[in-house]
Amino acid sequence: MPFIDQIIRYGSLSVVGLGKNTGKTECLRYVMEKLDQRQKLIAVTSVGIDGEGVDRVTATPKPEIFLEKGMYFTTVASYYKAKRFRAEICEVLPYTTVLGKMVTARALEKGKMILAGPSDTILLQNWVREMPRNFSVDICLVDGAISRLSPASPAVTESMILAVGAAYSLNMSTLAERTRFVYDTVHLPLAGESLKKKLEHITRGIRGITADGEITDPGVESALIPEQVREVLGKCQNRIYVPGAVSNALLKTLGEGKEVGKTELYIRDFSRIFADPRVLYSFLRKGGRIFQLFSTRLLAVCVNPVSPQGYRLNSEELTARIQKEVNIPVYDIKKLEG
Amino acid sequence: MNFARFSERIDGLKYLADKMELTGSRVRRYLMQMPFSTDRDELEQNFDILQKACEILSDQKAKPVMMQLQHLFSRVHDIRGSLAELKEKRTLDEVELFEIKYFVVLCSDAGKLCDQAGFSYERLFPLQEAFHILDPDTTGTVSFSIYDSYSKSLAAARQQVTETDPGRDPGKWDQLQDIIQKEELAVREKLSLQLSEFYPDLQENFDRLARMEIWFAKAKLALLYNMSRPVTVPGDQPGVLSVEGMVNPAIADNLENAGGSFQPVSVTLYRKPCLLTGANMSGKTVVLKTLAMIQALTQFSFFVPAQKASISLVKDVFLVIGDKQDQYRGLSSFAAEMLDLDRIMANMAAGTEMLVLADEPARTTNPAEGAAILCALVEYLEKHHVMSLISTHYGDLGLSCRKLRVAGFEGTNVKGRLDPLQMYRYMNYSLIEDKGGSVPLEALNIARLLGVNGSFIDTAKKYLK
Repeated sequence: MPFIDQIIRYGSLSVVGLGKNTGKTECLRYVMEKLDQRQKLIAVTSVGIDGEGVDRVTATPKPEIFLEKGMYFTTVASYYKAKRFRAEICEVLPYTTVLGKMVTARALEKGKMILAGPSDTILLQNWVREMPRNFSVDICLVDGAISRLSPASPAVTESMILAVGAAYSLNMSTLAERTRFVYDTVHLPLAGESLKKKLEHITRGIRGITADGEITDPGVESALIPEQVREVLGKCQNRIYVPGAVSNALLKTLGEGKEVGKTELYIRDFSRIFADPRVLYSFLRKGGRIFQLFSTRLLAVCVNPVSPQGYRLNSEELTARIQKEVNIPVYDIKKLEG
Repeated sequence: MNFARFSERIDGLKYLADKMELTGSRVRRYLMQMPFSTDRDELEQNFDILQKACEILSDQKAKPVMMQLQHLFSRVHDIRGSLAELKEKRTLDEVELFEIKYFVVLCSDAGKLCDQAGFSYERLFPLQEAFHILDPDTTGTVSFSIYDSYSKSLAAARQQVTETDPGRDPGKWDQLQDIIQKEELAVREKLSLQLSEFYPDLQENFDRLARMEIWFAKAKLALLYNMSRPVTVPGDQPGVLSVEGMVNPAIADNLENAGGSFQPVSVTLYRKPCLLTGANMSGKTVVLKTLAMIQALTQFSFFVPAQKASISLVKDVFLVIGDKQDQYRGLSSFAAEMLDLDRIMANMAAGTEMLVLADEPARTTNPAEGAAILCALVEYLEKHHVMSLISTHYGDLGLSCRKLRVAGFEGTNVKGRLDPLQMYRYMNYSLIEDKGGSVPLEALNIARLLGVNGSFIDTAKKYLK
């Protein structure tokens, strides 16, 4: 497959799904198998508590990930201790999460394991950076999520694959539109390098950006309700930076402003967008612009035409329908495996 | 009394503790629990260690080694939990066994780095045997697993399970997994028991690594603030607290940020009371706080921010600033201060050797009674030979005790308003012996410079006799 070469070139990949059971695990397993065949040393983890992972309410477990001999993986100590195959611990991470200590280990034979790794963006970023340094790993894989419950952004990896499945919706148009939306947000333009340097360490509050690129603090903590957004706009003119959630209220209020055509919104990355597609598109249509500080390369879309209830969509039709919306390859994961 | 308690009472200590570069709460806890030492030999030995650490840090050639050592400190995990398990001879899990192995490797690395740097204190116990227990195949790697070589039956069961398909024969597979679990537990029990013999050395190394880090952090602090090694005065010699060119780091840093500099001050106290007078804003409180800090630093084995210091060891340091009030307990600032003085009296009666530094005691009550309280305090300190410095604005008390005066304000011809942060430009902070009994009357002058309403000051002048 062509995207395997790209993954090798980029060195890190996250696989994210539109929702539960969209074929993310199958897709990850496929990538791992192919990389293993190419004799690449892999490290894999999963973003910690991520809505579709260990549900804090129902305690339903995440799907297990198949590991080949020699692969490195990072997970919480309690899952590690429950393993049913031989592995060796290589490192205990210097922080503790809500799930306890976190270990990095190497599989000494093949086996399967529930992964729950670094649970926020900074820790995940460190993991992606440190694994190749500490263990000469070729490729870091992240079982990611773009659900709004995920605190860790998949944008920390160089590349990404999106899993779209019948489990999300049995309506092909809905699937295609949603895929298109993710595709569009991933491809939002990047902020300039100098602006990025000034903004990347600011992770809270709201900031204004003057015409000369100076950063101002309007003293508003969030932009979740229209009054706050209007207050920010009044103080910061037309360029604002929102490191947190990009909500419907934010984009609607910005879109209602008189100078929407001159409005520039800076965000951290596409995963911070929680607004509805129609609200976002409406803002862009009116001439508003959105820039992101971090981006990742979306390599491919993998579709899973089978829903867990057993419904099956027509594979060719679904692939073709989605392919019309995006300018990257679309594959049926079941066919790839076969 | 430990460092944490002292740093609550003497704010300069807290400032310096926060300036120390420590890798985390694991080490900071050791710093906070350091005892206040009154043992002169121990302190002198500690100063030798600190001096060596300073020399190593100032040596350019040792820099790469020190950077490695500093990095190593940051990699030491808080394994108190695993150590407690070993102490109680409980069974460690796989992750805890790894942590012990990793720690043993760090100890060995730290030992080598210390040798390279020439630091021969806080020597770590060699733990090769403990390492061998956790490295049965002698691969020398840090990673850990319950290796096959620990148990033949474990290896056999593992071999069998790889030949069993859990899909086809789930019963057998589960059975084998149970055997593996049992065998692994047996191995962990054996390893834990073997390792528990090394518990004392492991614990000692854990403590020493933290102390080693603190020595280098103290040394770094000493170099940062140009600190010097205090000379401790033997107990059989007359008690003295003699400091030349002392600086208060917190205030010096603040002044530096404002473009100024701290004027070093020299002072010597004996085992008797001494009064300290001086204009407002002449730095009397700073002298008291800095002396308290220097005495405490010495007895917590730090170098001190002064060019030279000779220090007699005391059992306790009392710094009575008089701004302590506790409305929740119904105490006014006067009441809190009186209770502090009462504690000092009790200690005097018990014959405790101490340093008392009091800032304008009894200033918050009427001058007549306030002066009387002050005189009584001085009389008591005199009687009990307590090394003490007491600042005051009360003049002509008729006391025969020694008196020091801040040289004082030298900007009588300054025109216009003066920023309080710029006051240091017109103030000579040095202390001079004062034979007379009067106090400087510069309050109105200084109020004028601070920009206080002129006609108000003229009105006040009318009342001056």
